[in-house]
Amino acid sequence: MIGRPNKPLAQEPRYELIAQVLRRNILSAVLPKGLVLLEGPIAALMQTSRMPVQAALRMLADEGLVHRFDGRGYLVGSEDPALSPLRRDISSFALHIPQQVDDALQTRGTWRHFYDDIEEQVALCQVFGEFRIVETELADYLGVSRTVVRDVLSRLQERGLIRKDASSHWIAGPLTARTVREKFELRAIVEPAALRLAAPHIRYSQIEEFRDRIGTDPSLKPESLEDALMDYCIAQAPNTALVEMIQNNQMLLTSVNRALTGLGLPEDAIALDQYRTLFDLIARHPIDSAAEYLRDHLHIMGAKNLARMKIVAMISETVGFAPYLSPR
Amino acid sequence: MLTTQSDQTTQVAAPARIQRRRLRVRGTSITLLKEVRERAQADLGFDVEYELLDFITCQRQAAMQPEGYDIYEQCFHNLDIVWFWGSLQPIDTQRIADWNKITDLSKEGGISKYAWRGHGDAPVRKLYVQPGGFLGPKQGRYISMLPTVHNMDSFGFDTRVFGQGDVKRPSWSWLLDRRAKGRIALVDEPAIGFFDAALAAESAGELQFTDIGNMSIAEIDGLMALLEDRRRQGYFCGSWRTGEEAARLLQEDRVSAQSMWSPVYGHLGKMADVFVESAPVEGYRAWHGGASLSRHLNGPQLDMGYEYLNWWLGGYAGAVMARQGYYMSAPERTKAALAPEEWAYWYEGAPAARDLLGPSGKVVVKAGARRAGGTYEDRANRIALWNTVMEEYNYAARSWDRFIRRVNEGQK
Repeated sequence: MIGRPNKPLAQEPRYELIAQVLRRNILSAVLPKGLVLLEGPIAALMQTSRMPVQAALRMLADEGLVHRFDGRGYLVGSEDPALSPLRRDISSFALHIPQQVDDALQTRGTWRHFYDDIEEQVALCQVFGEFRIVETELADYLGVSRTVVRDVLSRLQERGLIRKDASSHWIAGPLTARTVREKFELRAIVEPAALRLAAPHIRYSQIEEFRDRIGTDPSLKPESLEDALMDYCIAQAPNTALVEMIQNNQMLLTSVNRALTGLGLPEDAIALDQYRTLFDLIARHPIDSAAEYLRDHLHIMGAKNLARMKIVAMISETVGFAPYLSPR
Repeated sequence: MLTTQSDQTTQVAAPARIQRRRLRVRGTSITLLKEVRERAQADLGFDVEYELLDFITCQRQAAMQPEGYDIYEQCFHNLDIVWFWGSLQPIDTQRIADWNKITDLSKEGGISKYAWRGHGDAPVRKLYVQPGGFLGPKQGRYISMLPTVHNMDSFGFDTRVFGQGDVKRPSWSWLLDRRAKGRIALVDEPAIGFFDAALAAESAGELQFTDIGNMSIAEIDGLMALLEDRRRQGYFCGSWRTGEEAARLLQEDRVSAQSMWSPVYGHLGKMADVFVESAPVEGYRAWHGGASLSRHLNGPQLDMGYEYLNWWLGGYAGAVMARQGYYMSAPERTKAALAPEEWAYWYEGAPAARDLLGPSGKVVVKAGARRAGGTYEDRANRIALWNTVMEEYNYAARSWDRFIRRVNEGQK
């Protein structure tokens, strides 16, 4: 199985590609301090919709490379009251765009250009109830043919985000506590088993490396650790059917989690400590102890996710839904 | 949950010549009473500011803006929201002087070993901070909320419609009874009113829940479909969020059966003779309130927080709470702060030896009256269900909101 660092660029989420381009040009000062970055012009330049640009800018803001200010958009550089906003069209700068990134932006399947945005919108709507996705409306919304829309929909179906009802309508949600509980119960059964099988194949040096970063690298998020556990440990199990089942079972949880964090729900700081113990056990102790700990860890994560499902009730429906989503 | 008009807004102390210390309390009309605030200020020597909000708004703002308050006074059931949002900090029971005076209903989940715990989330299940940041019943040094005021709620009914309740004992089913059609109101809070409706549906024989305190999606759908059907038939005349709104529906003679909160019985106006509190055969829907510390408190500000929490158990606050029908987790000191005839009426179920005054000094109980349901022990032994934030709360709350919106818009 392929770990994140080896993933071909064309499969990287679009926002990461955009962030890469902007990051490189900010660090090399092609984009000067104080320059106002607006979603629209960047989206036009990168030939994409605004959503991944939004996500990329948020990422860069977290890294301290750009910051919000009184006006629309972001300013390049860290916060500095002396900085005055510089308003110039981004296309007037000679942006350096690495060849592979440019290729990746251009050569992804047509639907991949906007898939991430649609997945986020569809994942998010489910916490508010049941929605029908109207194919024609989605085609209008994206400005593409219905053939392309079908590609997008079948990908969403693969990931467990939508299903067809008796009259062949595409339905999303509602995401219930029961679904979350069942998915975590399944995880607690199969993932420790996969970890045991994987023992001889685990990439131990990578796990040690991640373990050492916990507590010292503040940019490290629980999601990266979850990815590392998947890529370097569980996915190394010599049983493709088992690994696929585990990955499919996680997909809905991952996309909903990402959507909820995007809405401002708090992240879990305690999870980092648990990963430290888990990675310790994996790297330095018999695999059975790590498998047992993983099972406990998944029980706890399940309970936390159920708790998170309750606090979702505080998010009001005024977030607005894309026009192709109609509440049922 | 009635308060005087002046208490409706945030109480801001007059600008002081020297910077006075102050403690900001965010809460609901259950505990944010002028009488409590003024006495706390006098006893503690610092300003106490109140921000009074309805349940839902209070819970939302407590979760999302923890910087805006120092103390959060609310119910245990909504810790599922506010605690898990990460807005509060654990309370060290070693800094609570009267911790050992708090009774077993709060600390163990029932007033005795033999008392039935009730469905749903007894407050003890949210009381102790467990390893990993969870809340649970396993006793430990740190708690999420200092248990204070609590009560066993029921509904109220019109004796002209249902009789005195002596021939046929009141049942939650009366909240969906044909005799009250068009004159029924529910409290609009999805962890409270939702359960009034659920108790009504089950006791009327319309629905059965495997676990009424943790319903499945199908059961929630079933309940909402039943309520929607009754709504279309015109059973409901409205909903309410505050005690004032509940009292207004009564004073305008618009309801024959509705969810009720204890203090409202002191403000029925001319309906006082005909509208009475029930002691339902199925038992009560109970709740437990308390006070928590905001996440941001530390140093001297945290010390003030602890001073205030300790003060709450001192007796005075408990006496004010008793006068609006609420019980206190540490009753010993409350008893000392009440007149004997007040204690006898509110806690012991005895006939009022004289007219009794409410928190603001108005007569709320006439001489000779008796509290429905009897003594504290009798009532606390008959808890059917606790206010609860179920696993499927997000789904239930959104369905409930849509229902309430239709009730209030009177859609056909």
